[in-house]
Amino acid sequence: MAEPYLVVEHLTKVYERGHVVALKDVSFEVQKGEFLVIIGLSGSGKSTLLRCINRLIEPTKGRIFIDGVEITRLSPRQMRRFRRKIGMIFQHFNLIKRATVMTNVLTGRLGYNPTWKTLLGLFPRSDRELALRNLERVGLLEKAYVRADELSGGQQQRVGIARALMQQPELLLADEPVSALDPATSHSVMQYIEQMNREDGVTVLASLHFLSLARRYGTRIIALKDGELVFDGAPEEIDDRKFKEIYGEEAEEVEIR
Amino acid sequence: MTIYSTFKTDPARLRRRLLALLLDWMSWGYVAYGVMYFLNDYWWRIPLERFYTTLTLPPWGWPAAVLGTLAMAILCELTGYSLGERALKLEVKEERPLTKEEFLMGRAAGKPFWRTQWGVMAVLLLALTVALGWHIVKIDLEALFRPSRRAREMLGEIFPPDFRYFLVPDPAFELRGVPYSILNLMVITVFMALLATVLGAAVALPLSFFGARNIMGFSPVGWLVYGVVRGFFNVFRSIETMLWAVVFAIWIRWGSPLAGIMALTIHTIAALGKLYSEQVEGIDPGPVEAVVAAGGSRLEVIRYAVLPQVVPSFWAFTLYRWDINVRMSTVIALVGGGGIGDMLFYYKNEGEWALLGAVVATIVAVVWAMDYLSGRLRERIV
Ligand SMILES: Nc1ncnc2c1ncn2[C@@H]1O[C@H](COP(=O)(O)OP(=O)(O)OP(=O)(O)O)[C@@H](O)[C@H]1O
Ligand SMILES: [Mg+2]
Repeated sequence: MAEPYLVVEHLTKVYERGHVVALKDVSFEVQKGEFLVIIGLSGSGKSTLLRCINRLIEPTKGRIFIDGVEITRLSPRQMRRFRRKIGMIFQHFNLIKRATVMTNVLTGRLGYNPTWKTLLGLFPRSDRELALRNLERVGLLEKAYVRADELSGGQQQRVGIARALMQQPELLLADEPVSALDPATSHSVMQYIEQMNREDGVTVLASLHFLSLARRYGTRIIALKDGELVFDGAPEEIDDRKFKEIYGEEAEEVEIR
Repeated sequence: MTIYSTFKTDPARLRRRLLALLLDWMSWGYVAYGVMYFLNDYWWRIPLERFYTTLTLPPWGWPAAVLGTLAMAILCELTGYSLGERALKLEVKEERPLTKEEFLMGRAAGKPFWRTQWGVMAVLLLALTVALGWHIVKIDLEALFRPSRRAREMLGEIFPPDFRYFLVPDPAFELRGVPYSILNLMVITVFMALLATVLGAAVALPLSFFGARNIMGFSPVGWLVYGVVRGFFNVFRSIETMLWAVVFAIWIRWGSPLAGIMALTIHTIAALGKLYSEQVEGIDPGPVEAVVAAGGSRLEVIRYAVLPQVVPSFWAFTLYRWDINVRMSTVIALVGGGGIGDMLFYYKNEGEWALLGAVVATIVAVVWAMDYLSGRLRERIV
């Protein structure tokens, strides 16, 4: 078996404020090109896990390797450079609402350009061309110079995807990318992510709320419960018993088509 | 006993409770002061000269008052009828379930606030304050309706105002050997305000990021810079523009417009800085997260995630400050800050009421115009 692309070892996160143990000794590995889905109840630590992987949140204990680099030991400056390889999309899109779609997409290139230039709003011609190509890819070319807050939720998330594409990432972290969207829009957004995974070979880590979506798009699923890893395996392996273990006895599976 | 048991459970609660006690003590002290003042003023003057200030007390009176009010405060605290606790939203009494009627009408409907213990206390304090204030200031309403001879004379002459020196300098009115016209000085005044606003905003803008918790992070250096900047804002803001003008007028030269500009600028920096940093602290953290995740540096975070969110309110605050500065610059000459005020106070002292009328009319017109202008701009932006 090939060297895993991402290795998480004994990851623990304690939030000082409130004394919450959000992650307890979580370990797993991800191969290059996998589409890993993280499931779990609200508050189980999915967002925390994803944010530890690009160190938006500092892990309390444990090590994380990406492509052989121990990113938990990088200096802040080195980490900033490293983040170029890691795209991220968010539940609430996190767009700059008062800026144009174009500006939003271009922020995906911040890591590649010198600060003094970006502060003046100067991006190389090639970046602007790439931005238009990526907008075309998510079907929003004609919206390039519209303000981001004038778009619908699904369109905003597609801008988020275009922004992540700008980084030409090797790894994509998606924190509940579709839970603010309706079912039909959810699928269209998920398909763009799937396309990144299949065509560009981007390794994807996505947290999802609906098991049906997880089964449909994931090549592998891990489940968190109260910060602990309680499942790691193929989507088919989650049967009724496993489901109740992850979500609790009361839970009923909801389909989303 | 109550205090001890709360301390065991939660030190933060104890701190709030002590603060409540302090508040109670202060309000009882205030009541004692008020009562004493009235007693003094009416029939309890102690004939010893050296005690006679606003408040006369025999030597033993002070410790007695301090201890007495403390005792009252502790009593309040122990019986749970404390104004301080109410103010700090510390419920001492046991919570009982609401009746259906109370639930329907909202809790407050259960008992009108003036019938609760703390409500009575609050109303009493308010009444005492008004009575005491009235008495201390010796409000003389009669005088308001019986204008002095000088006022009648002034009112008679101020209309119609005499615009003779609007364009032409008044030879009698000289500042440092040069005569000025109203227009001349008004232009200087408006530019004083403009410069102060622009300079103040330009300094406050970068400073405000250093005074924002979410930008400075939680490292020791971050805390230190944050503390220093916020401290600067708070201290310099609490010193009024007029006081700054006195300082700079003495420093530079009495009546120098530069002194006025400096005073306005300093206060503008501190006031705008505080408002700006609060806006920065109130931003949606989502875009910040996104820019950091894409490998953006701190400056890029500010440029792409923070600034777009705060620019509209920055504009609104700056225009609001511009209004203040225009109004302030017209009178800052009173304390040596230069500008149109010099002329205003010159004519007032000379009793040239008609000429004064022209100056006042010009000030009103300009202030109104600037207000209107900034109001329109604000509408466009927000
Ligand atoms: N900044 C924080 N400070 C303190 N506690 C936090 C913080 N962020 C999250 N937590 C706590 O950590 C735990 C895990 O939170 P996390 O956001 O990772 O869960 P999640 O699985 O993403 O939930 P959801 O599905 O609701 O997004 C929760 O108990 C939460 O209250
Ligand atoms: Mg989450």
